[in-house]
Order: sequence, then structure tokens, then C-alpha cells
Amino acid sequence: MRHFRFVAALCAALCLFAAAPARAAVNVVTTLPDLAAITKAVGGDLVQVQSMALGSQDPHRVDAKPSLALALRNADLLISVGLDLEIGWLPNLQTGSRNPRIQVGNPGFLNASQFVRLLEIPATKVDRSEGDVHPGGNPHYLYDPRQGAAVARGIAERLAQLDAKNAATYRANAAKLTAELDAARVGWEKRLAGLRGAPIIAFHRTTAYLADWLGFEPIAFLEPKPGIPPNPSHVAGVLVLGRQRKARMVLIESYYNDREAKMLAGMMPAPLVILHGGTDFRAGETYVQHINELVGNLEKGLTGGKGG
Amino acid sequence: MSSVFVRLHGAFIAVSIAALFSAAPASAQQTPPLPPDAGVPESSEAGADAGTPEEVPPGLTPEEMAEIEKAFGGNTQQGVPASTSSAPDSTPGGGLPLSIPGGTSGTNFLDMSFILDLAAAAFTSKEPLQGGAHDPTRNGFNLQQLELSIGSVVDPYFRFDANIVYSQFGVEIEEAYGTTLALPGSLQVRAGQFLTRFGRLNATHPHAWDFVDQPFAMSRVFGAEGNRGLGVEVSWLTPLPWYVELTGSLTDATGEATARSFLGASNDRVLSPLDLQATGVLKQFFALSDDLSLMWGLSAATGPNPTGYRNRTDVFGTDVYLRYRPITEASNTLVTLQVEALYRRRQVPDDVLTDINTYAQLAWRFSQRWAAAARYELGTPAKGEGGEVALDPLDPEWTKNRDRLSANLTFWPTEFSRLRVQAARDRARWRDEADYSVFLALELVTGAHGAHAF
Repeated sequence: MRHFRFVAALCAALCLFAAAPARAAVNVVTTLPDLAAITKAVGGDLVQVQSMALGSQDPHRVDAKPSLALALRNADLLISVGLDLEIGWLPNLQTGSRNPRIQVGNPGFLNASQFVRLLEIPATKVDRSEGDVHPGGNPHYLYDPRQGAAVARGIAERLAQLDAKNAATYRANAAKLTAELDAARVGWEKRLAGLRGAPIIAFHRTTAYLADWLGFEPIAFLEPKPGIPPNPSHVAGVLVLGRQRKARMVLIESYYNDREAKMLAGMMPAPLVILHGGTDFRAGETYVQHINELVGNLEKGLTGGKGG
Repeated sequence: MSSVFVRLHGAFIAVSIAALFSAAPASAQQTPPLPPDAGVPESSEAGADAGTPEEVPPGLTPEEMAEIEKAFGGNTQQGVPASTSSAPDSTPGGGLPLSIPGGTSGTNFLDMSFILDLAAAAFTSKEPLQGGAHDPTRNGFNLQQLELSIGSVVDPYFRFDANIVYSQFGVEIEEAYGTTLALPGSLQVRAGQFLTRFGRLNATHPHAWDFVDQPFAMSRVFGAEGNRGLGVEVSWLTPLPWYVELTGSLTDATGEATARSFLGASNDRVLSPLDLQATGVLKQFFALSDDLSLMWGLSAATGPNPTGYRNRTDVFGTDVYLRYRPITEASNTLVTLQVEALYRRRQVPDDVLTDINTYAQLAWRFSQRWAAAARYELGTPAKGEGGEVALDPLDPEWTKNRDRLSANLTFWPTEFSRLRVQAARDRARWRDEADYSVFLALELVTGAHGAHAF
């Protein structure tokens, strides 16, 4: 009898846990916090959003922690950046989640890159002698608020498809976010007008969309090839070029080791601008605030102060 | 293949209905975002739920839904491909409702990669005690393996994975299995030839190893190739709030290199399920903090052994994997501690033999490209019921403890290539002196970028 009671209690506990995520809201998991912040802006209280990676993490190198598979198990929608950015860690988690809804090809999986005007799509056949190239195009598109707005609209459409009852709200929220970004962009572009045409050195090939938006010119990268750590001869070459072209700043994401970038900035000399790679979604930061912070750091670099 | 479908009958009722409703929206996803006024009629019956495919979709009354369900009640094969024998359509998308976005070429049907492991080795011993099939085993150059790794989604219900290993003089199907993708209840089934999930290291391939060779615990207890077999495996991700995965598998118990503590090389006919190897694994994961994670596993395997009628072998194991990787700030540091212990119990005529094999390894990646690792292994001789050292029918020379200490340094030019130098001191106490070895190993990975397991 005692046995039976224990089993009954266990069953009840299990049912409780199973029932706990009973969804009043659409359960969305995104790979990166920028996507989470955008989804939250679009979904509001109608969605429950979780990001797999932190903003402080290198999105290329995220550990496929089993707890992430757990998050995916109950997800109604998985949103990824795509373009092979998450290829090293997402597929196993998708399979391991045992959640058919979020498998590639199902409505519960959304590759956000389809909404973006992609840059740096290799025109020729690529191989890995060129480093860690993304054959589908550069995946760091969320630095550009215009692309962020496009992604927001795409996410709204997918949420509308999954939760048709609230379709109008999602679309309205996406329109609101777009308007907010458009309005803020006027100010941002004015503040960073000095960047137009400015030569800039970056660490990794993450600047394509930022450059496209703000009009600066990335003249060199500290990584000799994407994913290959800097070496002395390459850094020396970058230094020479940077001095020659009078590079305005050195850009690096906070998730990279900034030793070489710091040294280069000091020797050139040029301001070192550290960009937060992602929105601090966990702390409640919004996408607009994230871009605003990014603009602030670039502005500080532009006016000679040290960003970061 | 059709028998599999019959067995999964129940699941496919749900799955096929889900597929029916997911098919239409899936094709819409390829088109650019709809105009904002492409409103879907609102329905009061749609419920507060998030419209998962299983539920009544918006715009349908429950009665209509019931009618559709009734229509499909008699024919569950709807929505399921009639036959998998037809070759996959070679045109991208192929008119199927499902195509794979992200694949730039559009033909993302098969992820293939080749992994080449080479090693130059030097041993002080004439007969090194290297038990693993992928271990360097002789002085000079060794081809550890050339592995062809293939993976692909078969259809909305299965994915396929295979690891085919080419040695210098032959080809071997190391793994080839299907994994279900759409079973309800957080269940997943694997069927085919696969490495069992016993412990931590067993299910992995040399590419994922922190050392050039495998711990002797694996080759001594399971065989040179590790524990694997043809069979079926069911795993369940429990609904508990932390990660708890239960796995059970039945595999054939034969194979000198894959199940040597069980039937091994003997080829007895399977007369009942008891003549197969049964494996049960409980895996738990704890995210102790952003930076620190712990994986803990308990495993057990049982199966017949050929020493006598109804004699059995049981292996019990536990594995702990502690991983420290700072992610809240820029860092390349990765420290892992991995410990695994196997307790083996074998019934032999007039006795029960027990022994323990264990290893502990610590790896420290201190920069993007460099890591160092050290490993200690211990294996005790088989002891009888009285506690005295007994004759081990599999390793008759193993009459005393054996321990081995290995240390290595690894350099990754990129994540696709790896150079590793490793030295070891192998002290098998039944031998007169310790054996020393040095390896220099090169690994090259080409082809699709595989996903890394945790």
C-alpha cells in the first residue's frame, strides 16, 4: 500500500510538472538574445520568450547544454539566426528536444535570415581555406536596426500563423517596433554621421551590416581569416594599413579576447570600441536599448573617448 | 520498413494529423511576409491555446475537427509517405510541402563528412597493451581510422545517421541508425546499429575524445570498438524541471569487439529476449551556474555470457562530467573533469567474477587553440566470490592491478584540424616493468560541419 501511495504521489508530481508549462502564451525559444528581445517586443504578454545564448556569449561557440534541449522540449516556436551561425550546437539540441513542432521545415521553426537583405554572400564557391566562412552570407545582421525591423515583421507573421487569434496584436506590435526603430534611427544616424566613409578596423567579420547601415568602411580585420586568431605578422600589417588609412577606431565584440585589439588601438593610436555582441535580454534590455547602447559606444569612439 | 510503421501505428495517427495541418503553413513560410490585412478569421472556439498542430486550428469548429479526425480514423497512412523505397526527389523542395531553409545550395539532403585520424607512435613494449580499435598499436605510423559520417533528415518522422569506418584493409559499419523525430510524449526511438549510451565515452567517436586512445576500461569490458550492436533503443526525456533522460536499449549480445563480456565471439542462437543485451541509462544534467555544468549518469547493462547455461554478465557504471566554461565574459577557458567507473560481475561455472575499471581525466583548454589534459586509469583483476584473484577467461594474464597515466597537449589550427602529442606510462603489474609510449596524432575533418554534443 505504501508503495502504491508513493507511485501515486510520483505520478501526481509528474503530472504537475507536465502541466506546469500549460501555455497561456506561445512558448518561444530563440538562439540569440537579440531575437528574444525582438520576439518579446512583438509578442508582449502573449509570448513567453527564452534565449539559448547569453548576449555575452560568442554565438559561434555555444555549448549544447542538455538544459537547452529541455527548454526546446516545450517550445512552440524556435527562432534561429540561420546561415550556419548555430550549426555547431543547434541541430543536436533540436533532435534531442524530441519536439516535432520545432524541427526544421515545421511551422514551429523559423530561420530569421529569410527576412534579411543578406550581405557578403560569396559569389564563388567557397572552401574552408578561407576560414570560417558562411556560404549563405554574413549572419551578423541584427546589428542593423533596419534588418531587425524586417525580422520583427517576419516573426510577427509566424506568431500570427501559430496563434491566429492574436494575429492583429502581433502585427500591430511589429509595426510599433518598426516605427520606434525608424524614429530612433534618425537620431542614431545623426549622431553617427561622422562615421560615413570612415575607415575602421574590426576584429571579426561582424561589421558588414553595421557598415552597410552607417556607411563606414571596414578596411581590415584582426583575424587573418574568419575564426583564425590574430598573429603578429598579420597584426603588423593591419597596423601599417590602419595608420596609412588613418583608421578612426578599432571595433571588437565583448565576447572576444581584446588583447590584440587593445594593443593595436594603443599603437595606432585609435579608440578601441567594445560592442556588446547581443542584447542583455536576461536583464530586461530591449533591442532598441541594445542598439542605442551600441550607437553610444560608437559615438564615444568617434569623439575620441573610449567606448565600452 | 512497413512493419515499423505498423508498430508505430498509434503515434502516426497523431503525427499524420499534425502533418496535415502543418503542411499548408509550411509552404506559406517560403513566401515573403503576408500583407498585414491577410487576416485569418477569428474564432471564439479557438481556445486560449497557442495553436499547436494537434489542436483545433483557428477557423474550425471542434465539430469540423472531429469530422476530419473521423475521416482519418480508418486510414492512418495518410500523410505518411507510402513507401520509403522510392529515391528522394533530387530537385530542391521537390514539390514536397517541406523543404529545408538555410541550405544555400537548396540540396541539403545529406550532410557528409570525412574524419581522418592518423598517429605516429613509439612504444617501449614489444606488445603494447592497447585495447581500442582506434588506438595506435605499433611503432611507426598508424591509421586510427577514416570515418565517413553521414547524417540527414529522412522525412518528417525520421533522421538517419551513419558512421562508416574505413581501416586500411576493410570497411566497417560502425553505426547506422534511424532516430524518430515526431514521437509524442518526449519519447525517441533509435533503431539500427548504434553505440549504446552506456556511460559517457562509449557513445562517442574519436573526434570527440580528449585523448589519442580510449581508456582501457572500455576495451576490457566491452571490446575494442566499444559497446554497440544491432538493436533498438527507447529514450524518454522526463517532464521533470531539470534534465532527466531515461534510456533503455536491447542489442544483440555478440561481437568480440563490441560485447566481449557478454556472448563475445560465440554465435549462440537467440531464443528469448534474455539472450540479448539490455542496457539502461539514467542521465541527469544540472546547470550549476552560467559557467559550471554537471552531467551525471548511471548505467547498467546485462546480458548472457557463454561460460554456461543461463550464466549472465552485469555491468554497472557511473559517470560524472563537470564542465567549467565562463560565458559571461570574454574567455577561451574550458576546464572539464570526467570520471567514469565500471563494475563488472560475471557468472562463470562455480564462481562469480567481479572487477572494477575506472578512469578520471582533467582537460584544460587555456586558449582558443591550445589545451592540456591528463588521465589516470585503473583496472583491478577479476576476483571470485571469496575475494581472491580468480582466472579471468577473457584476460587470463590480468592477475594484478593495471594503471595507466597519460598526459597530452593539443593544438587546434581551426576546429577542423587537430594536432595532439601524448605520452603515457602503462603499469600492468603482471608485467616486469612499466611500458611507456608517445603518440603524435593528427586529425582532419572535412565536409559538413557536425554539431557537437555536450
